[in-house]
Amino acid sequence: MPLARLTRITSPWWFLVLLVTLVISILPLSALFKPLFDGSSLQTLLDPRIQNLLKDTAQLSGTAAALAFLVGLPYAILVWRFQIPGAFYFKLCAPLPLLLPPLLLAQAWHGLTGWDAAWMTSFTLGLAYAPLPALLAARSLQNQSAASHEAALLAGGPRRALWEMFRTAIPGAVFGSSLVFIFTSTDFAVPDYFATVGDKFSVYAAEVFHQFRDQDWTAGARASVPLVLLGLIVLAGSMQVERKWGAPDFGTGRRAKPLRLTKKYYRIGATLLALIGALFLLLLPLSRILWETGAGGPLSDGTWLSRSAEGFSAAFNRGRADLLRSLGIGLAAGGITLVLAPFWAHKLLHSSSRKKQFILLFLSLPLLTPALGLGISAIYVFNQSSSHFFYSSIGLPILVYAGRFLPIAVFLLHERFRRNPPEQEEAATLAGVSLITRIFRYHVGPHKAAWLLAGALVLAFSVRELDLAILLPASNASAAVRYFNALHFARDNFVAAFGILMVLILFLPLMIYAAFHRARHD
Amino acid sequence: MKLAPPLLALLAIGACSKPADLVVYCSLDQVHSEPIIALFEKETGLHVEAHFDVERNKTVGLVNRIFAERKHPYADVFWNNETAHTIRLKRAGLTSAYSSEQTQGIPKEFRDPEHHWIGFAARARVILHQSETQEFPTLVHEIGQSPVNSVGAMAAPLTGTTLTHFAVWSTLFGRKAVLTWLKTARDSGLGITSGNADAMRRVCEKDFPWCLTDTDDAAAAQDNGFDVSVHYPGQSKEFPAVLVIPNTVCILNGAPHRAAAERFIDFVTSASVESYLAKSRSQQIPLRPGVEVPFGRPQPHIDFAMLTIDWEAVATELEALSPEFKKLFLR
Repeated sequence: MPLARLTRITSPWWFLVLLVTLVISILPLSALFKPLFDGSSLQTLLDPRIQNLLKDTAQLSGTAAALAFLVGLPYAILVWRFQIPGAFYFKLCAPLPLLLPPLLLAQAWHGLTGWDAAWMTSFTLGLAYAPLPALLAARSLQNQSAASHEAALLAGGPRRALWEMFRTAIPGAVFGSSLVFIFTSTDFAVPDYFATVGDKFSVYAAEVFHQFRDQDWTAGARASVPLVLLGLIVLAGSMQVERKWGAPDFGTGRRAKPLRLTKKYYRIGATLLALIGALFLLLLPLSRILWETGAGGPLSDGTWLSRSAEGFSAAFNRGRADLLRSLGIGLAAGGITLVLAPFWAHKLLHSSSRKKQFILLFLSLPLLTPALGLGISAIYVFNQSSSHFFYSSIGLPILVYAGRFLPIAVFLLHERFRRNPPEQEEAATLAGVSLITRIFRYHVGPHKAAWLLAGALVLAFSVRELDLAILLPASNASAAVRYFNALHFARDNFVAAFGILMVLILFLPLMIYAAFHRARHD
Repeated sequence: MKLAPPLLALLAIGACSKPADLVVYCSLDQVHSEPIIALFEKETGLHVEAHFDVERNKTVGLVNRIFAERKHPYADVFWNNETAHTIRLKRAGLTSAYSSEQTQGIPKEFRDPEHHWIGFAARARVILHQSETQEFPTLVHEIGQSPVNSVGAMAAPLTGTTLTHFAVWSTLFGRKAVLTWLKTARDSGLGITSGNADAMRRVCEKDFPWCLTDTDDAAAAQDNGFDVSVHYPGQSKEFPAVLVIPNTVCILNGAPHRAAAERFIDFVTSASVESYLAKSRSQQIPLRPGVEVPFGRPQPHIDFAMLTIDWEAVATELEALSPEFKKLFLR
């Protein structure tokens, strides 16, 4: 019996998953549907000014996505598939840039290089989001089957083996890069910053922002339609790449171990390359940010150290409560996606191409819609006399964030689930194993690291979310609002110190876990 | 059943929110407004739930939120760091009138004639220049109109106080004159930044010798140890006064905690709060006569005169000019 038919067996769990997904993904958006699907929104595309803005945005985002791919993929291969000195620390560095607000990185890069103009937007955002393709590629590489790797090595030597690594990692990296494209195309702050420090240029996200500001909010929603479409095209394209390149790799047995480079020069070269990657991804901008915690003008009082200490003290005292609150909201949102994402990844696995596209649209809408629009729509939906209590509670941001970032977790897990042998689930289904067990034991089980990464990404993006944090009552007292509020007013020491504190608080549990994990294995 | 615990947890978390005695939406920088709100809490014993906007969003977030919440108002008070959006809210019928002995102490040119909003603690539009720079425009009209006056910077008049500034100019000199002036300035090689703070930073970094900005940004530059000075444009026979843009505060229509909102308005427009803001790092300019300004800083009405503005007319101009400015600067 074909597996597709077997999965059609009705399950009460599916109703529940669908219901919860509708509540977190579609319900908050529902007030936007009319303006979002209003045909007149596409008429603006006839305006040459709008066409130019869209063209520039697509170019800029495409360049950022390409850069993230070109940096992230080789970095993942070097660090996860080769035995190089310090690999453990290079791996630890990889997710860190995702925890830093891109605007802070933009300021750091400008401070370091003095460069500006539109291409610096692509450069900064490409590097800021390069961990996405790197981490997604790394998850694939960690599970590369030893059999396919050894076969490649025997058949074509190291080159063929290297190609096999690329082939294994490309679908994940492409999906990561498509996310980079989406985040870059909707970013207003970083292009705005580089347009400020250099020659003036504009992006389409600025047009959306000004429509929200000048007109009624439905005009903003209508203006965002081209960006939503652009994002959908890119996501659909990345799924095509995954279908073409992500040939199932049924490596449930032995996994390929990191390669030992026998020649000393190769080892030194690979380490240097990884070091350069880590420098650009994290160490250079982080050093600059650290320096800014104590930087001041020529007439400043005190030393660098005293100013830096003051910055950290202010950040800790004023921002501690907000940081913990953001962390709590992010953890809860991440927790919800950890439950829901495996179901949807499993559904995608067993869906026809057309159905898959529909699910893609259904799940991606909250991510592709500008946060400003999503937040306003959520206000219209939940600020009713009957739901006023929930509206003012922390439950609302948790719900909206979970819905917004759910597709990231779903697509990441879908890429992993494709590598599981279908016979295993088919046999389990015939043996009467429940849907829950099949999903969580046979699919999530072998990919626990990817599953946790999905939750961690949702946590990181929730903590960084600004527009929704301003709009939803219970999330206003958040790290993102405090950080950006201070950023405006030249509180440079505080801003830099608070940025570093955000990274530390988010990253410390992971570092401690990694250190213990390593000690146990050693 | 595995889904039950997180869903129950969600509901439990939702049930833990503490009700507030007053909800304030505030677009003045958190670092300056938070202590004032804390002081109000201490004095009155009321629990205030404060929500803040960020300048990157040019205060658009909270204003959009007030519009979206109009059927079931959540906030009681909107404390805006400028005037235009407050008047926009008033015109949309989202504000409510309030007047008291305390608010009457603010000069009437900074109050709404129908008592929907009250202005207090203002920022002035000034030229910030590197202290060693001797050549900078002394009047706003000179900016970008000659090669020597085009080497500085100003923010694009798309948002914030720069947008308000040129809307004011339009009420004084006419739309056509302002648009022509801005087009010349844009094409002159003048540095166009996205905000006043960015223009200020570039002067501190010595990218530009001077910029048009607000007094609070200028104060931040000096506070951060940069060798910069402030020039109050105007003060000539032809242009005798400086543009100052006050904070505004209003009670929202249908405010759930009206009595507490009135107490807050009286508190925030008081002489003591104006004095506190004048002494703070943002160096706001008090509007009440007699409120002390720290020694060494320019005294309003003595060291500089303030323009008298018809703010309703400015709001009208702002809405009319905004699309024109977008065509000029959002390309």
